[in-house]
Amino acid sequence: MNHLFEHEGVDYQLWLSRCQQGYRLHLGNEVLAVDFSHQGDGRGLLTITGASEPVRFAIDGDIIHLHIRGRTRILRYRDPLSAHALVKKDAGHLMARAPMPGVVVKTSVMPGEAVSTGTALMVIESMKLESVIRSPQEGVVDRIHFNEGECFEHDAVLVTITQEGH
Amino acid sequence: MQRLASLIDVNSQEFRLNEHHNRRLVTEFKERQRAVRFDRPERDRERLRRQNKLFVRDRVEALLDPETPFLELSTLAANEAYDGGVPSAAQVVGIGIVAGREVIVHADDSSVKGGAWYPLSVKKIVRSLDIAIENRLPVVHLCDCGGGFLPMQAEFFADRHHAGRIFRNQSILSKMGVPQVAIVMGHCIAGGAYVPALSDYNIIVQESGAIFLGGPSIVKVATGQHVSVDDLGGADMQTSVSGTADYLADSEMHAIAIARDIVARFSRPEKTSLDRVAPEPPAYDASELYGIIPRDARMHFDMREILARLVDGSRFHEYQPRYGRSLVCGFARLHGYQIGVLANNGVLFDDSALKGAHFIQLCDTNRTPLLFLQNITGFMVGSEYERRGITKNGAKLLMAVSGAAVPKFTVICSHSHGAGNFAMAGRAFDPRVLFSWPQAQISAMGADQATRVLTDVKAKQLAVDGKQLSAQEYETTRQSILEEYRERSSAYYATSEIWDDGILDPVDTRNALAIAVSASLNAPIETPRYGIFRM
Amino acid sequence: MQKLPFNTVLIANRGEIAVRIIKTLRELELRSAIVCHELDAGAPAVSMADMAIAVSGRTPVSAYLDTAQIIAAAREANVGAIHPGYGFLSENAEFARTVVESGFAFVGPTPESIQLMGDKIRARNFVQRNGFPVVPSAIEEDDPATFILRARSIGAPLLVKASAGGGGKGMRIVRDLDTLEQAIAQARSEAQRYFRDGRLYIERYIEKPRHIEVQVLGDSFGNVVHLFERECSVQRRFQKVIEEAPASALPLGLRERICETAVDICRAANYRNAGTVEFIVDGEEFYFLEMNTRLQVEHPVTEMITGIDIVAEQLYVAAGQELRFSQQDIVSTGHAIEARVYAEAPARDFAPTTGKILVLDYPGGPGLRIDIGISQGQQITIAFDSLLAKVIVHSRTRDGAALKIARAMQGLVLLGCETNASFLARVLADEQFLSGQVHTGYLDENPQLAAGESACDLSTFLAAAALLTRPVHEAADAVPELHASLGRWRNA
Repeated sequence: MNHLFEHEGVDYQLWLSRCQQGYRLHLGNEVLAVDFSHQGDGRGLLTITGASEPVRFAIDGDIIHLHIRGRTRILRYRDPLSAHALVKKDAGHLMARAPMPGVVVKTSVMPGEAVSTGTALMVIESMKLESVIRSPQEGVVDRIHFNEGECFEHDAVLVTITQEGH
Repeated sequence: MQRLASLIDVNSQEFRLNEHHNRRLVTEFKERQRAVRFDRPERDRERLRRQNKLFVRDRVEALLDPETPFLELSTLAANEAYDGGVPSAAQVVGIGIVAGREVIVHADDSSVKGGAWYPLSVKKIVRSLDIAIENRLPVVHLCDCGGGFLPMQAEFFADRHHAGRIFRNQSILSKMGVPQVAIVMGHCIAGGAYVPALSDYNIIVQESGAIFLGGPSIVKVATGQHVSVDDLGGADMQTSVSGTADYLADSEMHAIAIARDIVARFSRPEKTSLDRVAPEPPAYDASELYGIIPRDARMHFDMREILARLVDGSRFHEYQPRYGRSLVCGFARLHGYQIGVLANNGVLFDDSALKGAHFIQLCDTNRTPLLFLQNITGFMVGSEYERRGITKNGAKLLMAVSGAAVPKFTVICSHSHGAGNFAMAGRAFDPRVLFSWPQAQISAMGADQATRVLTDVKAKQLAVDGKQLSAQEYETTRQSILEEYRERSSAYYATSEIWDDGILDPVDTRNALAIAVSASLNAPIETPRYGIFRM
Repeated sequence: MQKLPFNTVLIANRGEIAVRIIKTLRELELRSAIVCHELDAGAPAVSMADMAIAVSGRTPVSAYLDTAQIIAAAREANVGAIHPGYGFLSENAEFARTVVESGFAFVGPTPESIQLMGDKIRARNFVQRNGFPVVPSAIEEDDPATFILRARSIGAPLLVKASAGGGGKGMRIVRDLDTLEQAIAQARSEAQRYFRDGRLYIERYIEKPRHIEVQVLGDSFGNVVHLFERECSVQRRFQKVIEEAPASALPLGLRERICETAVDICRAANYRNAGTVEFIVDGEEFYFLEMNTRLQVEHPVTEMITGIDIVAEQLYVAAGQELRFSQQDIVSTGHAIEARVYAEAPARDFAPTTGKILVLDYPGGPGLRIDIGISQGQQITIAFDSLLAKVIVHSRTRDGAALKIARAMQGLVLLGCETNASFLARVLADEQFLSGQVHTGYLDENPQLAAGESACDLSTFLAAAALLTRPVHEAADAVPELHASLGRWRNA
């Protein structure tokens, strides 16, 4: 079972193996000789196929922030236990999630209100633009998780919808 | 250590003809292995897809650490049984790396007869657990077994090494502190239900996994009760009500991820330390083995030529090079591990038997694992040899082989007949693994000799009834006896019956043995102790 | 150094601009006081200021918009002047008036100037009345009943704007007149929320226009000078991303005409202190767009080419002093470029990002200026504007500046919060940008620049990530040496 890293929404499979000098990175059909020496304070030297690259890094849980060759990229290690656990069927559709961080401008529904697919639930504002959060399916508004004026992060659950009879 | 100097002329006609012959044998062997591994009727593949199940080979690959080796054992088990209808005996077994740990992987193949256990399936599972016990290897079971194949129950149920042995071995492993993890990926019914139940950890896959002693139809017959699979032994019930299963997984991949996580946190007992240096490839290319193994099995070949293509740097420290020369003994390194080698270079004489017994004791005292390379037609017979004590000296060799506490490994390179099979650590002498090469012949007596004896016996029986065989009838009878004998002494028959742990392409021997040696070091090596040598 | 009649200045702002202002105050040997919401407690501006006074509000932004608290803070700190920075209350005439009436100097124009020139509609009418060119438009409050009708008669494409707005808030492009009413409703709602003023106006939307603005300075004695123009055509969603001075490749004479027009407008408006007159340039034509009656985000590029500290001049003017130089004294040398580093994800439609600054490091050197308001360990939230830093360079030529800023961007290490830095680097290396042939639609026409990093080199990053992730290298280390050396061997 390979390791998974996510970068800009795409999952990359890889495996690292030991070799006499350092490691080998197996990436698809590519095999690269790699190694890393820590220099302390979020600095290190990556060796990749013989070339040395100074690396600045910061690790925040499973998120790895990297600065190499003047460029910054953010990769996320996907723990195999959670990566392979399916979200319960339909559960994703029962919640309206925030497509980006923002602030609630106004809520258009009340808990207990019946909604159909596409009903406007909430107006959010992010990056100076308003967008409407719509119901992903038919159901009843169970809970509104943020009040008007409150801030939320990316992927936060904004509104929970239950299916009638469930 | 001195480097062996090969005397083989790789440009000779002889070499080329051998090479052509052996490559053909290996191609045929690989095709047979490929077919039993992957060829399945489309409807069986389709059924797996419908059940949301991965093919057993994909399950195993997902379980293993990528970029690590997997030594599959007994791939061609049952290939000559049940009309070839139960490829690999519906089991995948091997030694692999899971989360950095050497483990035995045992997986039911539900694409074959719904994963039902046939007599040889049981034998293969028992053998895999024997290996686990001998080498103290943790086991990962990928369970998807519809129960035993009832029509053949007489051949797998009641005897000492029949189905009960699986559960006994599991219990013994647990008692030894060797952990097991089982993933329930299908219905585990009857005996199959005990595999997860007797594992220290088990995981059940939502929807496809279920455990019950008797399935709904058995329950109906036995008690008249109507009950659904889910209520009877579904993943939800077994994890939340009965406690028969430990972890609930959303999918097979999720279950495998959980299993890997469990294995990763197994304690890592210190392995037996064995003298090891940095590995070195042989100085001669292993593919030259194809040109060395004679196309005519009656032809002699020098085992040192094999060793030169098997051991590190082709270096070999030969012991007693001038005595008992039909048994080559000496020290070498295999992937850096120090080993003692006993290799046949002709029939066993009393002096070769004495040399072998002595060398085994030497290695045992040194804590040096033993490698037996068999090409043996047997012990020398005849009054002169009896007078020299060939039988009692052969018995010494058997005593030494049986008593040695260091791990033993056996490869049947060509002939393996008579007491030679025993003396060279045949199956009965518990080598940790035993492999055959495709052209190997295993039988009590060589085919030509045995056929002559058998044909004569037949002719004599007919003569008792007053019948006389014509020359032509004699020849026909001889031919048919020879054919059947050959078939039953072939490596394919031996491996089908699980007399070995699988056939190897000769060039794979080095790696396969290294994996086996490494695995063997998970168990401690007892202090040497022997029975009584008849002096 | 000229003497100023006050020795402490309150900064009614935060972030990089507060740091920027403090630097000049220190230069002038003045004390700094700052208002500060609790979210900013650890910000560099707060630790740099001589005094910080806490302000609070229902939302973090509202704390910085609370005139009463700010005046109280000014009293507490015993300041002589209040610098509003940009954004927040900087263009609020009411605030300016209260500041002045409370006895402080307001570092900015008079309340009357803000009222006149800070209001888009009034400013436009004023400019048009005085004979300067403006884009054809329809102003709602002229006659609300016929607003839509008048807008339609201009013809598509149209741009809907908030009368009180700026910075892209409440703006909508309408290419299909059928969607006009919907766009008006949305723009009004945004305007209402941001400016508490839902008035709108609509103008002809000029395709591929260039955004050229002129920095002006005026004093209380009727002197007005310009500090040359800036080009701010590299924009996304009306938000400036890269600015430079001087503008590249303006037709001969046009530069002078634009700058002189800006000065004439300010003179007509009797404008005082620093301000920016923005124009839309369409080939050889240019139209008055709006005026910003405050210090601009992009003011450093002007400072780089003129050597004038605009904040210092603002303070002198606010103190009632006469401009210290005339137009002839102001010389433009070389070329300056500024890139704005935002906490945002260009590949996800520039959605704002949040996070904690885990690593912050930036280069220095001659001709290189980094205006930054964050420090390591600081949490970036959605509460405020997402501008984190500005990288500004100055070089003899535009090519030299482009090269220098590209290098500077590479040396900027900001980890912990996703930024647009890679996007900026791609723009700065883009051929069209380098050729100077940019217009305000440039980024929209080149979505590939925002689409994200090409996969090239990704393996280098994956290698580093793998080697830095414990479960990954532990899994490698756990495999016995023999098995690692055999690799993916199978007995076929």
